[in-house]
Amino acid sequence: MKLFLKIFLWFLAAVSLMVFVLMFVTRTFQTEPMVNRFERSTRNQLTIYGGTASQIVKAEGEDGLKTFLTRLKDLEPPRQVSLVSNDGKVFFGDPVDAPEVGELTTRTMASGQVETDFNSEERTVGASPVNFPDGRRMVLVFQWERQAPPSLFWGSNTALIRLGGILLVAVVLCYLLAMYLTSPIRKLRGVTNELADGNLETRVSPRLGRRRDEIGDLARDFDVMAGRIEGLIKSQQRLNRDISHELRSPLARLNVALEIAKQKSNPDTMPIFQRIEGESDRLNEMISRLLTLSKLETGADDVDRVRLDFAELVRDVAADADFEAQAKGKHVEVSSADSCPVIGSENLLRSAVENVLRNAVRYTPERTVVDVSLTKENGHAILKISDHGGGVPEDELPNLFRPFYRVGEARERKTGGTGLGLAIAERAVKAHKGTITARNYNGGLQVEIGINTAKKGDA
Amino acid sequence: MDKILIIDDDEELCELVSEYLTVEGFDISCVNDGASGLESALSGDYDMVILDVMLPKMNGFDVLRNLREQSKLPVIMLTARGDDMERIVGLEIGADDYLPKPFNPRELAARLRAILRRTAVEDGDPEASEKLDIDGIQISPASRIATCDGRELNLTSVEFELLLELLKEAGKIVKKEDLSENVLERKLSPYDRSLDMHISNLRKKLGERVDGTERIKTIRSVGYIYTLV
Repeated sequence: MKLFLKIFLWFLAAVSLMVFVLMFVTRTFQTEPMVNRFERSTRNQLTIYGGTASQIVKAEGEDGLKTFLTRLKDLEPPRQVSLVSNDGKVFFGDPVDAPEVGELTTRTMASGQVETDFNSEERTVGASPVNFPDGRRMVLVFQWERQAPPSLFWGSNTALIRLGGILLVAVVLCYLLAMYLTSPIRKLRGVTNELADGNLETRVSPRLGRRRDEIGDLARDFDVMAGRIEGLIKSQQRLNRDISHELRSPLARLNVALEIAKQKSNPDTMPIFQRIEGESDRLNEMISRLLTLSKLETGADDVDRVRLDFAELVRDVAADADFEAQAKGKHVEVSSADSCPVIGSENLLRSAVENVLRNAVRYTPERTVVDVSLTKENGHAILKISDHGGGVPEDELPNLFRPFYRVGEARERKTGGTGLGLAIAERAVKAHKGTITARNYNGGLQVEIGINTAKKGDA
Repeated sequence: MDKILIIDDDEELCELVSEYLTVEGFDISCVNDGASGLESALSGDYDMVILDVMLPKMNGFDVLRNLREQSKLPVIMLTARGDDMERIVGLEIGADDYLPKPFNPRELAARLRAILRRTAVEDGDPEASEKLDIDGIQISPASRIATCDGRELNLTSVEFELLLELLKEAGKIVKKEDLSENVLERKLSPYDRSLDMHISNLRKKLGERVDGTERIKTIRSVGYIYTLV
């Protein structure tokens, strides 16, 4: 999940939870005293009603009492008012059905005091004794619809608006916070990618402004690092140019001097001069390969990519390699070459294929064949080059593409080569976002190169 | 004796090459920077120039570009080995051949002779070959002028020879091996792309036919053919 979404959701969850906990606690602590007050005032009311009813029946008789009770009945909130005699009959008013009301009536009758019942889900019930002048005692029963305490969020429009408002504010705040935290990281990531793509001058600080927090520190540290990398790469590139010029100048002079010496030499010294010439050629070859390699490693910036048929290139290189191999009694055979349009640098791809192929020719024994097969599989051009040179130990396979890596006893220096061919091939293939792997196959080494084929319409 | 001008800032190398080439029968002069190199090359005293790419004051490409505005003096460029850009740019501007540095002086001498022989044939023996007029291209080996649909082509001597060879065999495949031996006067070696490069330059200069077809077709790993309609 994206960091932005994570931060946003976590903060939103935290804020929402906090709001609800706060509401719950407040509500609990505020309703308790309210309920107590309600119960007390209900009792007082009942006591007064009971007392008043007793006085009225004494002064005005039963008709006066009935008028009073009718008046009580019409008051708000709606209620049921009944006067129950001691034998359970309803003397006046609404019928009394519920068992808890009957029980309450009996209790009041016995105690002669106001009794209440707030536990029922449906109604609040209260009973108050009324004393008649003739000594009879009846019970005045009040039944109210249970009044639920008003809900904070549900039930009314205001409550919903309140809830919506809180959530909206929370969402906006969390969004801003998440943006504040993740946007510099996104910018940092963009710059990192640019740097990786070879744009060494890019820096984060101008895009972040003046932040003084840890992210600002990170950005500044990153810039310091980018500066050092830029310095290192620039100096390496400079070094490469200098090597190319400075090492080759004496080599060029050496070659000419050697040739002059050969002009003046006698047959005895000729072989040794030829030896010197061979070594000088080798040195030269190594310098140019080293340069190619370091050019590839410091970012292939001067790669001009064109659309080309990989099969044609492979067949070309294979023909050249076969020509060379025949001189040593070996062969290169192209067993299949599907047409594979790719986008890439012809030079780099050519040098990748050439290096792998020449390596295979070098190690395959005389009178054997190096097999080249190019197939097209799900948008990839797969090139397999297999020799019969006995392969290499399994645990050495991944090291084959390291510069100057030589495999133990099996492949010795005397077989020639600079130790850079496969390394160059690997870098060249990587520059095309391709893959290169080596495996032991059928008594030899098989190197597989995979490159994305071009789709129709690609430049 | 053929007079050769070497333009290279490496004085010691110049000395050694002079010594070697003098023994091989050339008359050598050396200049160590681009500006005076161009001046000497334009003086008309020389038959050929060996030109290094990296030069003080004016680099090799600029020297060649300026030289080509006024002269068709044959030029061999010395390029850094492995730097394809230098090679391609050099040939595009109009070098007759290139040699990657460090070079084998025997090779240098052989190439000098090849180019000089070519120019000598053209200058000395006007009857050596007759004019050709094929497919809108007139090519006259004697005057070394080639025109395409009336437009004069500014070809280097290698390109001129290549076009001549292809036109002589127009409609037939000319093998790479033969082109290399007849024109570049060296055996075709594997991985050598210079022939392809010269052909590609030649194609650019000729342009396509009006109907958009290529004049010179590549027959992969065999050679080239000048197609006839």
